[in-house]
Amino acid sequence: MRKTLDLIVAPTAIQPGRYVSTAYADRTSPSVRSATLEVEPGPEGRRVRVSWSCPTAVRELGQETDRFVDAAALAIPAAPDTPWVTMGAPGKPLEGALWRANRAELLRFRAEGLGSVKREAPPAHWKVLAEWTAGHWSVTFDLAPWPRLDQSPQLAVAIWRGAADDRGGLKSVSPGWVTVAP
Amino acid sequence: MSAPSARQLAMVLDLNKCLGCQTCTVACKKLWNRDSGSGYAYWNHVETRPGRGYPADWSEAGGRDASGAVTRGRVPNLDAEYGRAWDFNHQQTFESAGRPADEKVWIRPAGEPRWGANWDEDRGAGRYPQDNHYFYLPRLCNHCTHPACLEACPRGAIAKRREDGIVLVDQDACHGYRFCVEACPYKKIYFDPERNVATKCIFCLPRIEAGVPMACARQCPGRLRFVGYRDDPEGPIWKLVEKWKVALPLHPEYGLAPNVFYVPPLAPPRLDAAGRPTGEPRIPLRALEELFGENVAPALDTLRGERAKRKRGEASELMDLLIAYDWKQSFALSPGAREVL
Repeated sequence: MRKTLDLIVAPTAIQPGRYVSTAYADRTSPSVRSATLEVEPGPEGRRVRVSWSCPTAVRELGQETDRFVDAAALAIPAAPDTPWVTMGAPGKPLEGALWRANRAELLRFRAEGLGSVKREAPPAHWKVLAEWTAGHWSVTFDLAPWPRLDQSPQLAVAIWRGAADDRGGLKSVSPGWVTVAP
Repeated sequence: MSAPSARQLAMVLDLNKCLGCQTCTVACKKLWNRDSGSGYAYWNHVETRPGRGYPADWSEAGGRDASGAVTRGRVPNLDAEYGRAWDFNHQQTFESAGRPADEKVWIRPAGEPRWGANWDEDRGAGRYPQDNHYFYLPRLCNHCTHPACLEACPRGAIAKRREDGIVLVDQDACHGYRFCVEACPYKKIYFDPERNVATKCIFCLPRIEAGVPMACARQCPGRLRFVGYRDDPEGPIWKLVEKWKVALPLHPEYGLAPNVFYVPPLAPPRLDAAGRPTGEPRIPLRALEELFGENVAPALDTLRGERAKRKRGEASELMDLLIAYDWKQSFALSPGAREVL
């Protein structure tokens, strides 16, 4: 399965705390406008690739104070009616995998609402292959076996563009859950 | 805005006594802030005013707008605004110790530093001898009553302790987004890129809980720092801030209600063209008002009045307190129960 996603800006108005919602009220368009989502069957389960245009890659924080790295995340609902745009809700969790350009390993995360994301070390078999070529990132999440991913009919994508100072709730996201072939 | 704390720990710094020696800076840095990712960061530092400060030009924007919302700030750049921590050639210098003088390697930083904390120390402003002037402004986290950093954190990783109002970062919850760094108009919360977390002054919390003043206050050779609770009428903070009204907040217009206060500096008079003293102070009143708000003039009047009384041999509670004859009077702390974090 291959889909082109028209990304939207994650709404800043709903971000927790009063700062981001007001200070970034002018963030009305996504810093990454579209992404390609590919879901392929693998020997042990699904493999997911996300690719997008990124003219300036930011791979490292280095020692810098004002640099933000490129990142991408996959999320899947962990309850039947988990909302996406709010990163789940109390009692309606979502979970997923976070890739950051400055880390060799993925991070696993779980959330039940904005500001509640908890990150943890990934299962040992989770792998990621990230390549930046000619102004494009291609990030392949090799997470199988992960029954929840393999069974989920829905996925969501978030992308952070470091050069645009994206971080936290400042991100480009798929417009809701994306239905993928089971 | 955050819920108010039950009590508020506070500090007053008498700028008439600051030597600019940076002993406070070193005491703090050595005690708390030696992680390799925060070599550039000084929870406490002393900057020269007039000057660009640290990070450079920090005071040009920030705080709350008329509606009470925290305005959007910036994350300072390491080279242009903070100044990168210098790496020195200690090893080469050591190894060349026995060589002839013209072959010795002298100690120096790597590269060509162009900015750093305290870079413009003692430059000041004005023309010698008419009105040249400067003073030292030690700065640390203000542990604001309405902290912008706390409000900016979408993770809820910043909290204000109920028992003493100390503002702390939970680094386990921090994801390194730096909205706090951006929002704090005083730029007194820092980012550690190696650990991807925010770091800041903790008001020497473990010392405070044991009834011991902060390292910056305890080590100050000039005895210019006073520590206590805002609501203690027997303590120095209440006397200097509320009773005598000579201690003023830094940039009160930011609307964060800081809890570090400053006794503004008196200054010798300007000289006229013939070299005679005028009635004008060398440090322009407007420059002080830009830092400490509209109450500078009455505070300076009170200081002059009490100083004159003391010169005449009359008693002055204010002067006795500021002179710190009895240093223990500068600190009014009581050991409290240790909070389990």
